[in-house]
Parts: sequence; C-alpha cells; structure tokens
Amino acid sequence: MSGTTTDEVSMTGESAAPGETLCKLLLHPAGTNAARALVVIMMLAFWEFGSGRFLPHVWLSSPSVIGVKLWSWIADGSLGMHLVATLSAAGFGYALGALSGVASGLVLGLLPRVERVASPFVVALYALPKVALAPFFVIFLGIGLESKVALVAVTVYFLLLYNTLDGVRDLDRDLTDAFRLMGATRSEVARHVLLPGIQPWIYSGLRIAVRYAFTAAVLGELIASNQGIGYLIESSAGHYNSSGVFAGVFVLVVCSVISTELITRAERAALRWQR
Amino acid sequence: MTSPVIELKNASKDFEQGGRAIPALAPTGLNVANHEFVALVGPSGCGKSTVLNMVAGLFPPSGGQVLYEGELVADLNRRVGYMTQKDTLLPWRTTAANIAAPLELACRAMPRSERDDRVARMIELVGLKGFENHYPGELSGGMRKRAALARMLVYDPDTLLMDEPFGALDAQLKLVMHEELQRIVGDGRKTVLFVTHDLGEAIALADRVVVFTSRPGRVKKVREIELERPRNVYRVRFETAFGDLHEELWNELKDEVRKGTDA
Repeated sequence: MSGTTTDEVSMTGESAAPGETLCKLLLHPAGTNAARALVVIMMLAFWEFGSGRFLPHVWLSSPSVIGVKLWSWIADGSLGMHLVATLSAAGFGYALGALSGVASGLVLGLLPRVERVASPFVVALYALPKVALAPFFVIFLGIGLESKVALVAVTVYFLLLYNTLDGVRDLDRDLTDAFRLMGATRSEVARHVLLPGIQPWIYSGLRIAVRYAFTAAVLGELIASNQGIGYLIESSAGHYNSSGVFAGVFVLVVCSVISTELITRAERAALRWQR
Repeated sequence: MTSPVIELKNASKDFEQGGRAIPALAPTGLNVANHEFVALVGPSGCGKSTVLNMVAGLFPPSGGQVLYEGELVADLNRRVGYMTQKDTLLPWRTTAANIAAPLELACRAMPRSERDDRVARMIELVGLKGFENHYPGELSGGMRKRAALARMLVYDPDTLLMDEPFGALDAQLKLVMHEELQRIVGDGRKTVLFVTHDLGEAIALADRVVVFTSRPGRVKKVREIELERPRNVYRVRFETAFGDLHEELWNELKDEVRKGTDA
C-alpha cells in the first residue's frame, strides 16, 4: 500500500528557493486544504465586495444575503421540509432504481438468450432522455412524491443495469471454471465468484448514479410540484429572488457532495483488495 | 500394472473456427497409472492443454473416449485438482481465504475449526506464513503460485492436473517451486498430469514424459524416466543420465517445434 509517501514533505531543505518551498507546502495535505480555503474566501470576498458595485445585485445577490436567506429557511423550518421532500424522492428512487437495475442486469447477463431478445428495447429506452418522461409521470402519478420517485428510479435503473451487465460480461471465466472444478454448485459460484466479482462495477454505477438521482429529483420538482429544493429554486426564481435561487443551489451541492462522498467511502471500504 | 486412473482411448478434439473444424488433437491414446507423474511436452498449440481440459471435463472429446477411474468423463470431473498457468485466485479474498475456498463448499462441509486447521497447515507447507492476510494483488508471482498450489492441495484431490503452472516464473523460482512440488506431491502420493513446454522441467519431475507432435497433436514418443527418487531438482540436471534423456527427447521435440514455428 504505497502512494501516501509523496505527501510527506521535508521542510528543512536549506537551499530550497522560496518558490520551491511554497510548492512543497501546497503538496502537504494541510497546505492543500489551506490553499483551497483561501480560494473560497477570495471568491466570496470578491463576490461580496463587487455585489452592487460592478456585479448587479438583482441577478447575482451576495454571499451575505444568501446566507441570511438560508438561515431564515432553516429558522422557519421550510428548509427541513423541502429537503426531506427532495431527499425522499432522490433516496427512494435511487434505491428502487438501483435494486431493479442490478437485478435486471444479472438476468440479462446470465441469460444471453433473453438478453438477445431484449437488447434493442433496452437500448432504445436507455437512449431516451428520461426527462421526456416527466410529464407522463405527472399525469400518471400526480405532482407528489410518486412522480419524482419514478423519474429518479427510471434514470438510475439504466445506469445500474448497464454497469451490472458489463460486470457480468467482464467476469473472468477461468475463475468460475476453477470454482466449478473445485465442486461448487451454480449458486455457490454465484455467491463466491459472481457477486463479489461484479461489486466494483456496481459501486461505480452507484457512485455515478447519485448525481443523476439528484438531477432527476430536482428536474421533477422544477417541472411540477409544491415542495422540494427544486420547487424552492423555481418559486424563488419566479419572484426574481436570486438569493433564494443561490441558496437552493448551495443546498443541492452540499447534499450531492455528501452523498457521493458516503458512497465513495463505502466503495473504498468494500474494495480494499483493489488498492 | 493396475487399471489406469486416466485413460484416453483414441480421444480427439476439433475446434470450430469460422465455421470450419480445426483439428487440435489427433486421435490419441494415453494411460496414466495410479500415483504416476506424467509430463506432456510439445510445441505450443499441440493440444496438451486440450488433454487436461478433457480429463477435467471442461469439454468432451470430438471423437474417442476419455475415462477417469474407468468411467467416462461426462461432466466436470470433481475428483481432480486443476492448476493453470494463470492463477485463478479470487482477487478479493486474502491468501488464507483463497486457500479456504474449496473447504467452504457444501460438498465438503466441515466444522470451521477443522477448516482453519487445514488452511493453517497448508500455509505452513507452502511457506506463506506471514502472508495469510495479504490480497493476491499484494503477493509476488511466486507467492501467488504457492497460494494456488495450496488451494489445490487443501482438499486433497487424488489427481492433480497442472497446465504450465510455473510457466510465468523466472528460472530460479521455478527450481524452488519444483522442489516444493516434489516434497509435497512427489514420492508417489498423487497422480499428476503435468503439461509444460520446458523439457528440463518434465524430465526432472516426471516418471514418464510424453512428447507430442505439432498441431494437430499426436503422441510421438513416450519415455520412462528412470532417474532415482527422491530427486534433487537442483543437482539432477548435472547427472549424465539427465543429459542423455534431454538429448534423446530434444531430438524428438526439436523438429516439432520447428514445424510449429514455420506454420
């Protein structure tokens, strides 16, 4: 397990030029984080200072006003309510889409004859931009949670289906043969070779799907809804309330980053053998 | 001689390629007796591995019969252990867990303590102590071979099929593995069918060496190796008898290897 050694940088080089020392400082984890914080602070300061001077406040608002807006949402409980709506839509849809996607991928991967028949239909549905289905889900399931869950699930479903299918196809036949020769039954081959073998593919699908799940949930809310972060952004925009729009976007970024990070950590823990 | 463990009766194999049947193995007869170590040598693509695959039951012969202990090999043959050039360790299992894998299967259900015991003994036997919790990706080529060997031996199959198991190792490591293999399975405790393109390896290890012709493979020559056992794999190469055998078999093999490269 190597790769961390580059982070350890000696600070004692006497002959090092100032530029070189700075480079070394930036390579250090703490240095990197400090530099990142500096970039954020500088951008926020520029935004705050420029707002109302050379940046139009009506369109771009300012960090302090956005912060106040965000705080008022937190204080009156509306952020919690809308966040729960979006997270439920994204979460339920994600779980539903991922489970059925993996199951379908396994079926298609293990039954080549079924795959051959189903392939053109799957390809056509995969190629279809899922947003186009949103109006259908609204008339079919209403403007509540169900239509958003459906849109998210359909989006996530195909991502996981294809990743699982690729994983099954990529499976090393020599490994399965070796296990069958040891005396493994088909279900034992599935348990010991197939399922662990496709794990990297499923995790990478899950990781990518997080982003798509949030996108689909918010899109669904933008199109037709009365709650959720997407609705909050849409209604703020309707009132020319740019700080509300930015506050909503900020909340989404935080949610998406945290979820992706959680999946990435789970992935790293489960796939330690990949290094 | 008692009845052979492995018996090929005019077994042949054709492979489909672009709609045509390409003969890989011409009708071949071969017997391997109980606790005999037989090495198959021949140029690349002469069907040596095909013989092993048919004995393992991975596919049936196109013609003739393949028998194991007098019975037709119809399905996967689970009484053999199979070790290929590519080690088939599961990359997501540690060394110990890989070696334990055959013992986790329902067909050899055993208490956990016994499983752990046998795995620990195997790890000791192949010299992997201290590497139990390493993943295959963290082991050297030689260590992975040892782990694969241990996984094959841990369930104690009567017959070992080995297809160029040490092909990817450097010359020194190969000798070390030869010594280990001989220590573990030599001295007539297992039946071994060993495929290699290394004539020296074949002579040093086997009781009998079978030379195959180039594709489609046929048995060209069968030679008993009378070198005394136990053999010292490092020294045996310098004995005159070894040199004579090498000379004799190389004369049979070299034309076939040339033909193989001309084609």
